[in-house]
Amino acid sequence: MSLLRLEALSKKFGDHWALKEIDFSIDEGEIVGLVGPNGAGKTTLFNLITCRHRATSGRVFFANKETTSYKPHEIQKLGISRTFQSSRPFAKMRTLDNVMVARVFGGEFHLFAQSTDIDSARQLLELVGLAHKEQTPAGDLTLSEQRRLDLARALATQPRLLLLDEVVAGFSPVAVKQAVDLVRRVRQRGVTLFIIDHFLSLSLRVSDRLLALDHGEKVAEGRPQEVMRNREVVRAYLGTRHEDESQSA
Amino acid sequence: MQTKGTTRQQAIQQQIAWAAPTLGLVLLLLLPAFARYNDYVLQVFTHALLLATLALAWNILGVSGSISLGHAAFFGAGAYTSALLSLDLGISPWATIPLGGVLAAGIAAIMGLFCLRLRGAYFALATLAFVEIPKVITDNWDGLTRGSLGLVGLPGLPSLQLGSYHFDLSASLVGSYYFVLAYGLVLLGLVTFVFRSNLGLALQAIREEEVAAEAVGIQVQRYRLLSLLLSAFFSGITGACYGHLIRYLEPGLVYGLHFSAIPMIFAICGGRFTILGPALAALVLYPVDQFIFHPLLPAGHEFLYGAVIILAILFMPSGVWGQVRKAHFVSIKTGSVE
Repeated sequence: MSLLRLEALSKKFGDHWALKEIDFSIDEGEIVGLVGPNGAGKTTLFNLITCRHRATSGRVFFANKETTSYKPHEIQKLGISRTFQSSRPFAKMRTLDNVMVARVFGGEFHLFAQSTDIDSARQLLELVGLAHKEQTPAGDLTLSEQRRLDLARALATQPRLLLLDEVVAGFSPVAVKQAVDLVRRVRQRGVTLFIIDHFLSLSLRVSDRLLALDHGEKVAEGRPQEVMRNREVVRAYLGTRHEDESQSA
Repeated sequence: MQTKGTTRQQAIQQQIAWAAPTLGLVLLLLLPAFARYNDYVLQVFTHALLLATLALAWNILGVSGSISLGHAAFFGAGAYTSALLSLDLGISPWATIPLGGVLAAGIAAIMGLFCLRLRGAYFALATLAFVEIPKVITDNWDGLTRGSLGLVGLPGLPSLQLGSYHFDLSASLVGSYYFVLAYGLVLLGLVTFVFRSNLGLALQAIREEEVAAEAVGIQVQRYRLLSLLLSAFFSGITGACYGHLIRYLEPGLVYGLHFSAIPMIFAICGGRFTILGPALAALVLYPVDQFIFHPLLPAGHEFLYGAVIILAILFMPSGVWGQVRKAHFVSIKTGSVE
């Protein structure tokens, strides 16, 4: 039984098809990498799944409900959270309050913060390694810390499906390795993950499957090693060899 | 790792954060004793307190990141509603003042319909333009509002009888002063409640990063509307109190740019990310304006406000009180910490 299912999902911006007829599904508990060069439509796909943008055509199903035209807060309530390509912290608020917001509004609303909310917010900061920064305004955190805060905030809403948009872009090899561990720990909490990863440094190591896009179209899906050997994918990333072109001509 | 210097600085800031408001409150409570024989001082501080409540009310919306230049619409609507109901129908001001708040919130609902889809400068400009609607209606509906003639002879605030104590709130300047101070403290309590609750958390999150706020499940427009309605309700109540204290109204006066701009100026100078900042700025800047700049420059004394807002924006974007509170922006209580 798939947790997320996309049926012929398309998005047109002006005359340009950002996504064209994408069929795909993700099972509960999977880690799926979404790869492709710049402009392939990866972030657009996330924006459609989280209902930030409305699909031009096609349908999205999540947990057996059609969610194509939900509002962002509704899809969030149903169990989809995301991080952003450029992290978006609540800059003037303390790091702990950043997670508290997500905890309070992603879960059951109380007028005042419950001690259980505070405890679980602290646990999440512990998980992403920011416990010692809980009193720091989020805007003062480093790039990698802000990305981890984004992740803690997304987890605080207790999602079933978590969409990570370029969490490791610009990370050092050590930080990438830490992110790999972190993603595995998130999966152990029972969260299904869909990961955008332009440079494949994270998704090749953790993904069960990959979905490759190019110019808004699905070019391959399957096990990471198979997808990476796929001619279309190689061409999208590296271009075409001169001999290949002359052979096909 | 914190160095000793910053820890010490934080400790001093913490002390200021407690000492300044406490001292201010004691001074405000004792002021009539000092100023018993000086009506002018008492009048100035009564008006400063009233403007402080307007700034506090303005900042209920301000904390969500929306800069309103249209709060005169709520101030004027509250003033006129309460004045007309008490003047023409003879209803007690105790009943008509809250009704002024309700009508102001009603006008805010209409304003929200048009303006809340806008952000930043566009929102500010739309609210600035919106004030003209209630102003023109009040100015021209002669049968109801007596138009540009204005209203005179508004009933003052009724006396309060508590046991054997008799509080004269209208004839006695001291009585009026304490009434406005009491209202200010009640409003301050409510604003603290709102800002420290999860509602306040949502408003701040919307201000900081609207897209992320939506992504964690906050219904952004619903909370923006709620903060606008609350803000307008209390601005309307302040306007109504103003009418019963001054006892005459004119459309050009209560719907004027003055009552739109002044709460914004106080909030930005004082610190619009703080609870107390807007009120503190009102209590300092208005008396400074009246006691120092008005005698010096009777025609252009309000240049003070222009000057302080430019200085605040350039050198203290989070306001004076925001500077003192530093990293301690309004945040929820978290057990042992702080």
